[in-house]
Amino acid sequence: MQYNTHVFLNELREQAETHLQMAIRDWQNLTPEQLGQTPTPGKWSAAQCLEHLNFYGRHYMTACETAINRAKQKGSIPSPVYQPGWLGAKFTRMMQPGAKAMESPANARPAAQPDAIQMLQEFIEHNEKLLQLLSQAETINLEKVKAPTSLSALLRLQLGDTFAFYLAHQARHVLQIQRALGA
Amino acid sequence: MNAYNHLSAFLQGIYPLSDAEMAAMLAVWQPFSARRKEILTPEGQTERYAYFVLEGVQRACFTHPDGRDITLVFTYPYSFSGIADSFLLQKPSKFTFETLTPSQFLRAPYAAIKSMMDEHRNIERLLFRATAVALEGVLYRQAELQSFSSEEKFRALLARSPHVLTLIPHKYLASYIGVDATNFSKLLNSIRIA
Repeated sequence: MQYNTHVFLNELREQAETHLQMAIRDWQNLTPEQLGQTPTPGKWSAAQCLEHLNFYGRHYMTACETAINRAKQKGSIPSPVYQPGWLGAKFTRMMQPGAKAMESPANARPAAQPDAIQMLQEFIEHNEKLLQLLSQAETINLEKVKAPTSLSALLRLQLGDTFAFYLAHQARHVLQIQRALGA
Repeated sequence: MNAYNHLSAFLQGIYPLSDAEMAAMLAVWQPFSARRKEILTPEGQTERYAYFVLEGVQRACFTHPDGRDITLVFTYPYSFSGIADSFLLQKPSKFTFETLTPSQFLRAPYAAIKSMMDEHRNIERLLFRATAVALEGVLYRQAELQSFSSEEKFRALLARSPHVLTLIPHKYLASYIGVDATNFSKLLNSIRIA
């Protein structure tokens, strides 16, 4: 499936903007206790979901920024159409809300009681950064430029797929946060 | 009201202009929009535009040599925005001007505003008055900064702009008041209880 690159990036931007608005309008006005509540024993609290998302945010925001800067230096030229790679598309599908539940890697599992305020602030920062990177991504080729996944530096995805997969994963946990908060 | 009606009403509120003066003034402003977290004037660059905010929140911030960025001022509809001193003096800005939410503006380049002031005495008076009002705000804020406790600064901010808590990431509000995220959360709790 091919996309118009501009539309593709705009949809990702809208998704990030929606998540960011929930965080700014609603979550940041809750108490740390509300954010730290687990809905049922064994399920993650909103703060734990945020810590889990931040684990990926730390990796992917740095990895994408580095990839974009390098591509700009090399004079990468944007293409009007975007074609996801087969692996990237598969990863995105696996992450989308509604897809089969999966076990998080051990290093991405949150602490029992993370600092909710810090975690939320960091989540907002990652998403502000993400929006800036999505704007910068308009100036480079999203297929040719690749970024390393958090699984392995050797496993690299097209930058467009990296953004799509990152946001699909985030969308999944945003729903989980809403459930945890009883929204 | 369309964008230009808002600007016209705002300008008339500062200093009365004749219809001809107003028409000349409105003609130099162009629509402009920006996404969230777009830097419109980086530190070191001279402010080229006067902005009039139609939608969204923006801030001017100062980067401390240790890397922290400090929010100096927020702007919202309907008011002027941009780095005023850099614009008026046409000197490199010591501050950064950026959007905090998706934003809509009217904006006018310096050369056009300058020629408006040269040609129309009342437009010059209007901008003189706008600068005086801005100075009044800055001096009052200076007094607040030097005399208010964190809680008083927090309450003063909410009294002036009660909508900011659900509109702006709290880290920017915290930096405007001069507290860290944890202490900001405590201030927030204190008004929840009250």
